Amino acid sequence: MKQLLHAVQELDADILAFIEKGVAPRDADAFNLLALRVFKLQFHHIPVYRGYCERRGRIPDSIASWEDIPALFTDAFKEADLSLLPEAAVRTFMTSGTTSPGERGRIHYDEAGLSLMDATIRIAASDMLFPDGMQAAVLVIAPPPDMAPHMIMSYGMDRLRQYFGLPHSGFFIGENGFDIPAFIAALGRCEAEGAPAAVCGGTAGLVNFFNYCHDRGLRWHLPPGSRCLDAGGFKAGRRQPGRDAFLVCCENVLGIDRNLCVNLLGMTETASQFYDNTLQQHWQGLHGPTVKISPAWTRTIAVDPDTLEPLPRGETGLLRYFDLANRGHICAIQTDDLGRSVDGGFEILGRARDDQTRGCSLTIDEMTRNMGSC
Amino acid sequence: MGLIAANGYYLPAGYGQGQLEFSTRCFERSGLQVQLSVLVVTSALVESLSAYLKKSRQEHLARLPVRHIIDVLDEASRRWLDAGYPPRKTAIDALHVITGFSREIVAASIDAEMESSLGDHMWQALCSEIRNPLYLDDFQYSAELNGYSRAFGPELIVSFFSENIPALPHLLFMRAALVKAACLGKVASGEPAFAPLYLKTIEDIDPGIAACMAVLYWQGGSAEVEDAAFARADAAIVFGGEEACSALAERIPRSVKLLVHGHKLGFGVIGKKALGRDGIDALAAAIAYDHGMFDQQACLAPQAYYVEEGGEVSPAEFVDKLAQAMDELEAKLPRGSISAGEAAAVNQSRVRYEIRQLQAAEVMLRCPARGTGWTIACERAPAVLTVSPRNRFVRLWAVEDIFQILPALQPVRRFLQNAAVAIGDERELAFIRSLGELGVSRVTAPGAMPLPSMMWHHDGIAALASLLRWCDIEKKDTVSGLEANNRG
Repeated sequence: MKQLLHAVQELDADILAFIEKGVAPRDADAFNLLALRVFKLQFHHIPVYRGYCERRGRIPDSIASWEDIPALFTDAFKEADLSLLPEAAVRTFMTSGTTSPGERGRIHYDEAGLSLMDATIRIAASDMLFPDGMQAAVLVIAPPPDMAPHMIMSYGMDRLRQYFGLPHSGFFIGENGFDIPAFIAALGRCEAEGAPAAVCGGTAGLVNFFNYCHDRGLRWHLPPGSRCLDAGGFKAGRRQPGRDAFLVCCENVLGIDRNLCVNLLGMTETASQFYDNTLQQHWQGLHGPTVKISPAWTRTIAVDPDTLEPLPRGETGLLRYFDLANRGHICAIQTDDLGRSVDGGFEILGRARDDQTRGCSLTIDEMTRNMGSC
Repeated sequence: MGLIAANGYYLPAGYGQGQLEFSTRCFERSGLQVQLSVLVVTSALVESLSAYLKKSRQEHLARLPVRHIIDVLDEASRRWLDAGYPPRKTAIDALHVITGFSREIVAASIDAEMESSLGDHMWQALCSEIRNPLYLDDFQYSAELNGYSRAFGPELIVSFFSENIPALPHLLFMRAALVKAACLGKVASGEPAFAPLYLKTIEDIDPGIAACMAVLYWQGGSAEVEDAAFARADAAIVFGGEEACSALAERIPRSVKLLVHGHKLGFGVIGKKALGRDGIDALAAAIAYDHGMFDQQACLAPQAYYVEEGGEVSPAEFVDKLAQAMDELEAKLPRGSISAGEAAAVNQSRVRYEIRQLQAAEVMLRCPARGTGWTIACERAPAVLTVSPRNRFVRLWAVEDIFQILPALQPVRRFLQNAAVAIGDERELAFIRSLGELGVSRVTAPGAMPLPSMMWHHDGIAALASLLRWCDIEKKDTVSGLEANNRG
């Protein structure tokens, strides 16, 4: 155990140093070596994962590339504690379990693992959300961490508030739901005081707020430098406005320049977050296509949904992440998000499982929605 | 690339009112393209078409003897059963491209549907539901009534078909014709091609009957179009998910008879006596077939098979047999292509079983080395019957005693439909009684789950009788001319 803790400590210091160098891609060899070191520890000390890898003939001494490290589907976290240091857990995040309430994946973090996540939040936001070094009133449409201790978005937004927030930053979902009057007051205060705001929240929550404002003719002209960070996105196939309509709302309702509106992909199973490059490009005076960026300490590929074999760039499949900051659980995470690798990053196209509605047998959604009334 | 032109609509040959507008939907798969011509549907079209269908019914279908209608439908089924029938070949290609089911599955489903749609079956189905099919032709003597009765079908039935099960819509047109009702069918976006081809067959045999039938496609929820249809129909038959069905049901006027076929759950039960060494290969093949037909997407498909412990064949041995049967089935009836989401669901579930297994739980997991073709997961039965990831994902759930599964079915009883039961000993009847009480509407043998007969009370509903309105004469002695109908 002592030996493990020592190895973890050394590894964490090296991963941290790698993260601190910034988001931009660099030093693939160093990344690979770190990846293989984490894999070795996870293989030897997470018994279930070890069994999973052994069945696939992927053991530390037999592989030379991070690409060969077996990825675990996100649902694995619904079945087992896959922590490297289960006894050192200080915090647990849970997946939202939208399709089957009561069935939630659990990811446990030890103290040093949380520090790695904190570093990813700080460094990624420095490069992708606040490349200008500005501080803003971080106004979050999400519950604060003490109210939603298991929600990773609350945790991450709270860190943003700590690192980049002016004193009157805050969270606006409370015990009674979205406190719209308080949120409106906070926007008004930013407008009046000339303090830039960073309006943050889930995409759906922001859309609801825009609809609310639209119905009542409410609008603001937030000070220059104000920005918007929406997490999540638009689910494929749902009747929701697209990205462009969303950006129009940011401009019309909040007075936020669309070049300062960033979408964030985060998930409970990865410590790191994936920002799009809108604001970064704007800051650098570039006009390339909008893509999601994998920070240097992560990798993102798409795999064939059927065979799970990696796909060439440009082909759509299921996104798979490798995240060094996942040292505390499993680095290689297979999702059922649909997306593809493109030049400079990747694109996410929605949840693959949203399209699973063929045939005439009952769906899980239908069943769970109706079981209560039986 | 090969090209198949097909229609995603059917209008009777004699209907030609107004200016019609068309669009084309294209589907591609396996080097084939289907160009489906789709009629742009407006409420005005639905109104005039409904009027035409009702008029045709009045003039022709309503006057035909039921025996003749059955003969026409029987002839249609026989043509479709002929492997050389050109529309059948078109349907197999087109449905393969559109639905993703393999050609073999599409062909097998056409065979299954048509073999159970022959003249005798229709006659028997009517006998089973209304005792004497001639009630549909004229007043017939009824001894119980000590008078005469006659049954009238609706003038116009509007049918909403469900997603993508090949060849199913023909059943609704058959039922409508049997009760001498005109029928306007709304096909699903997932399978719009079969019904128009089938109605063309009817047109070839008896254009007068086909003049009472039409198929359209519109985006579900188009209130104006749907309201126009409901306003002119006197019956509606709706297949679909809970949400879609309830949304429709709310808008259907009370005067319209409504039959709803919501999404359902099927399952199988194997008792320990049925797990003997004799016939174990056949049992494995039967269970594989139940999962393979329609790639487990039909409401008839099993979501799980409960297996009682203590049989002569151990669960491990049975899993081996079943794995072999799944491979053999793949060779005979290959699984279709599935979406990324469906593949993800299969892979996610497999990983969950594997993680459970690695934690020393009593779980067995078998699948081919590559791809999602089929999966067998065997474990102790959980507390509630749930939905399988489908697409040939077999879940064998071990129980000590088959009666233990009754509480697991209780929470989902309103969704229960089809059960394959092979208990193999004297408990079978008591067990089936319990299933019936819970809500199961069809009990069959393993291997027959996808093949209900015309006589089945579909989802527990007397599908033909429920559409009828009766007129009884309680004064037989004073009605002249009825003596000829006195068959009592």
